[in-house]
Amino acid sequence: MEELILELKKQIIEVLNLEDVQPEDIENDAPLFGEGLGLDSIDALELIVMLEKNYGIKIKDPSAGKEIFKSVNTMAAFVSDHRTK
Amino acid sequence: MEPIVITGIGVVSAIGIGKAATLESLRSQRTGIGPMRFLKTSHREFPVGEVKLSDDEMKQRLGITAEPTTRTALMGMLAMQEALEESNLLTSHPSYPIALVSGTTVGGMDKSEQYYLDYLDNDTRNDYIRTHDCGTTTQLMADHFGLFTMATSVSTACSSAANAIILGANLIRSRQTEMAVVGGAECITKFHLNGFNSLMILDHDQCRPFDADRAGLNLGEGAAWLVIETAESARRRGAKVIARLSGFGNACDAFHQTASSDDGEGAFLAMQKALKMADLQPQDINYVNAHGTGTPNNDASESQALLRLFGSTLPPISSTKGMTGHTTSASGSVEAAICLLALQHSLVPANYGWSRPMENGIKPVCEVLTDYPLQHVMCNSFGFGGNDSSMIFSRL
Amino acid sequence: MNSKVYIKAATQISIQQPLSEQWMTAPLAYAEPYVRSQDPNFRDWLNPLESRRMGKILKRALVTALKVMQDSGIHQPDAIITGTGLGCIENTELFLGQLCREGEEMLKPTAFMQSTHNTISSLIAIHCRCHGYNTTYSHKHLSFDAALLDAFTQMQLGDISTALVTGNDELTPSWFSILRRTGSVGQPGQPPASEASVAMMLTTDPADALCEVEQVRLHYGAATASFADSDIPPFDFKQLFGECYTASGLGVYAAAHLLHAGQASRLQIVNENEEGSSCIQLKSVL
Repeated sequence: MEELILELKKQIIEVLNLEDVQPEDIENDAPLFGEGLGLDSIDALELIVMLEKNYGIKIKDPSAGKEIFKSVNTMAAFVSDHRTK
Repeated sequence: MEPIVITGIGVVSAIGIGKAATLESLRSQRTGIGPMRFLKTSHREFPVGEVKLSDDEMKQRLGITAEPTTRTALMGMLAMQEALEESNLLTSHPSYPIALVSGTTVGGMDKSEQYYLDYLDNDTRNDYIRTHDCGTTTQLMADHFGLFTMATSVSTACSSAANAIILGANLIRSRQTEMAVVGGAECITKFHLNGFNSLMILDHDQCRPFDADRAGLNLGEGAAWLVIETAESARRRGAKVIARLSGFGNACDAFHQTASSDDGEGAFLAMQKALKMADLQPQDINYVNAHGTGTPNNDASESQALLRLFGSTLPPISSTKGMTGHTTSASGSVEAAICLLALQHSLVPANYGWSRPMENGIKPVCEVLTDYPLQHVMCNSFGFGGNDSSMIFSRL
Repeated sequence: MNSKVYIKAATQISIQQPLSEQWMTAPLAYAEPYVRSQDPNFRDWLNPLESRRMGKILKRALVTALKVMQDSGIHQPDAIITGTGLGCIENTELFLGQLCREGEEMLKPTAFMQSTHNTISSLIAIHCRCHGYNTTYSHKHLSFDAALLDAFTQMQLGDISTALVTGNDELTPSWFSILRRTGSVGQPGQPPASEASVAMMLTTDPADALCEVEQVRLHYGAATASFADSDIPPFDFKQLFGECYTASGLGVYAAAHLLHAGQASRLQIVNENEEGSSCIQLKSVL
């Protein structure tokens, strides 16, 4: 799980072009949207594309993103349960 | 405001080629949305509102054989022909200035998306490189008719045509021209079908504007033009006056590139400006043709704006996108044409696709109303980036 | 009706030194057929989190807008109007390229969202929370001219008293190679194919203005000979700034500063192309 968490942090930084952010800057439990990193609905869509590309997970309903992307921890749990790659 | 009158209308969309066919579809509540016939894409699962003519069929009707041309320009020319004919500008045009203001965003993307790799790689498609941008689409249409002394292109996504009408009106108000042909054209492209799909705002079924279960929009395509001029110019030419453009407003939501604010501030301000210019109160509006795309976000935001403006006494409201689909850059003028047909024929179009009221939303007109006299009609167009515009058309 | 219109502040990011008027005394010269803009340090103006999705054209557009708002003291203009010939071509190509090479799955929504022409004008409004009139023109070399005409018209009508007018165009190496196939760029004897971001604050208040805008005319189908003023020498700015769809914007910017420096009493920018022509006349207020 540690490995997956680090991998996800790197991907978040890359896909969302968070230039000044390092993996160690993102706390596992910190909110990604609203406060915390302050990501928005477009970032959520980019993460949905990333999940499909890298883990073979297809999310049909964009509002499902709210729960999945709450924090890196919730993302990792979701990926772990649903990955096909 | 000195009267700006409309003396010609031309419209082409999924619900008909020309005004007569469009009116017939509105009367019989017939949707033009259905399975894809012309667009070459792997996403054939999306219902769309295509203009029911191939490029070749449009070229034939226009008497065009030469290439390069673009689907958007062809649609635009078909609709423009009708408007110019009605305004008596095809056989005898005045020697004074006529401006063309055209709204489009995709331009020649229907060709670029087929030939982009050739543009990069070889010289086989060089003729289409120049048709890529918006300005060239306007130029192709302007050159076909040879009437215009000024031409420009507006590109504000879904409010392009509405903003084109606004610039044309301002050019007339400031006496830089006495007459303008204004509106827009847009064909469906793989580019924006996939773009909207990546934003996850397309409905896999028939769209349902203002419905509790709405799930997104259906893309449409089309073109529509209004010939607008001073009352004096129309009188001088003996042109038949259809209605007045009595007010308009443009404001920015300034919230997000692809989402509208919860309270619909930009939309509210645009409608308010239009009323002020027309010197009207909200209760003077007899019908609102809403932007009503069918996306959860737009319909919620627009509902708030409408409720804020009209309070508890809402006029009849409907979105016609359930029939035409979302004609994107052309929607402002396609729907203006529908509003003008409504005014002329005392008809309130139905909000096709609706069945359940949304929470905190407006309840639209779900059956067409006929023999319903209208005096002032409002037409809303809200684009990505919060480019919000509203127009009011009035009986003479 | 017929209020006078002034340019209060104007700035640029181009192949000359960015956000400055150094080109007046120490212009940069280029021999290459294709030159990209000299960018300022964007971090001086934008925080990285906010600008994470912005390509070059958006950053340049926002920074030039912020500078003229700062210089003019007008932070909530009545209108924000933009002209762009090609729009956000870098993002357009990103999405288009992915579409053509990889197919219609897993496409990046950001690239699409940032590719529409009106993204520029909206971005400025979103950043400044400005609810005023907002629109975008895209008509090749006459895009900025249309934006200026719209602002000028509304000010003359008395509908607005301030307007931020911008012109923005970028040119990626790939799109340069595409345009070169048509002969419109990259030929010997032509000014370099370049990029431009221009912003200017227009106002009906003459105080501290750079110059007055006397006339803005757009024409289609015939040459400008009928309305260009033969008493005013045409102003050649393409040797300095190169050729791009927003070149006329740079011409107006440069003319405004030259008039302010007392180097002429009137200047006109004549912009003739196959898609139409324009004539913009500016006058000194000294």
